[in-house]
Amino acid sequence: MVTREEHETRQRFRDRYGEDRPDALVQIERAVIGADWGADGYTTRRQADQLADALRLAPSVWLLDIGSGRGWPGLYLAASTGCRVVLSDVPLEGLRAAVARAATDRFAGGAVAAVAASARALPYRAGTFDAVVHADVLC
Amino acid sequence: MLRASRRLLRPGGRTAFFTIHPAPGLSSRRRRRAHRDGPVAVASHLSQRDLLERGGFVDIAETDRTVEFATVARAWIEQRDRHQDQLVEALGEAEFEQRQREARVQLRAIDDGLLRRSLLVAVCPND
Ligand SMILES: C[S@@+](CC[C@H](N)C(=O)[O-])C[C@H]1O[C@@H](n2cnc3c(N)ncnc32)[C@H](O)[C@@H]1O
Repeated sequence: MVTREEHETRQRFRDRYGEDRPDALVQIERAVIGADWGADGYTTRRQADQLADALRLAPSVWLLDIGSGRGWPGLYLAASTGCRVVLSDVPLEGLRAAVARAATDRFAGGAVAAVAASARALPYRAGTFDAVVHADVLC
Repeated sequence: MLRASRRLLRPGGRTAFFTIHPAPGLSSRRRRRAHRDGPVAVASHLSQRDLLERGGFVDIAETDRTVEFATVARAWIEQRDRHQDQLVEALGEAEFEQRQREARVQLRAIDDGLLRRSLLVAVCPND
């Protein structure tokens, strides 16, 4: 069942993530965040690196990113540490952008999967992940 | 969300996250303003640390990162202003104005001590 809140989240972020990102937004993100993975919050690249340390990410680790938007920080963490990541969020549009990026030559990270699901309803068995991350997710 | 993390993590697994929340110890009036002006994660009166503890996590570490929060929030606003012409062309005037207005209201709430952003790190127990 989809709650009203999830419905609103989907609406709100669908519009945002569906945008074909104008060049100006990419430049702005580089200036503010220090990276261009489509961040939609306040996690800088330095802070993402601190998350990697705190989670002890490494190539064999399975990471879950809840509310990953366009893949920040989960996709970046897979690229920078070689860990394997499942990106999850409610709207499809951000996940699509993330998967598209993971398929490009620019991406040199570990395995990437994406799942469209609310945090409450993630289709995984208990104890599946070594690490869970989220950044500015409002639920 | 913490419940999901607790379920999905293996014993000994780790969680780390950034979260925006009302400053502790606010009067109910200021707390309401924090909720109105910011993207506040939890409605609960418990702190993130208490929520993690109740959720059964161990080795909980909390760091206040509000200073960087304010710096980054200000930088988003300034950078969008700098690229105003391109953004208005891409997003439309109304959307641009709305994003900037919301961002300014939120920055004021940070500067007024209503909103904080914290880094939390915790471990799922082994038993
Ligand atoms: C402010 S954005 C942050 C996105 C990304 N982590 C970043 O830092 O750029 C918040 C994200 O949380 C997601 N979200 C909100 N409620 C959620 C829920 N119940 N389950 C999973 N994701 C959720 C939204 O769809 C949105 O993508």
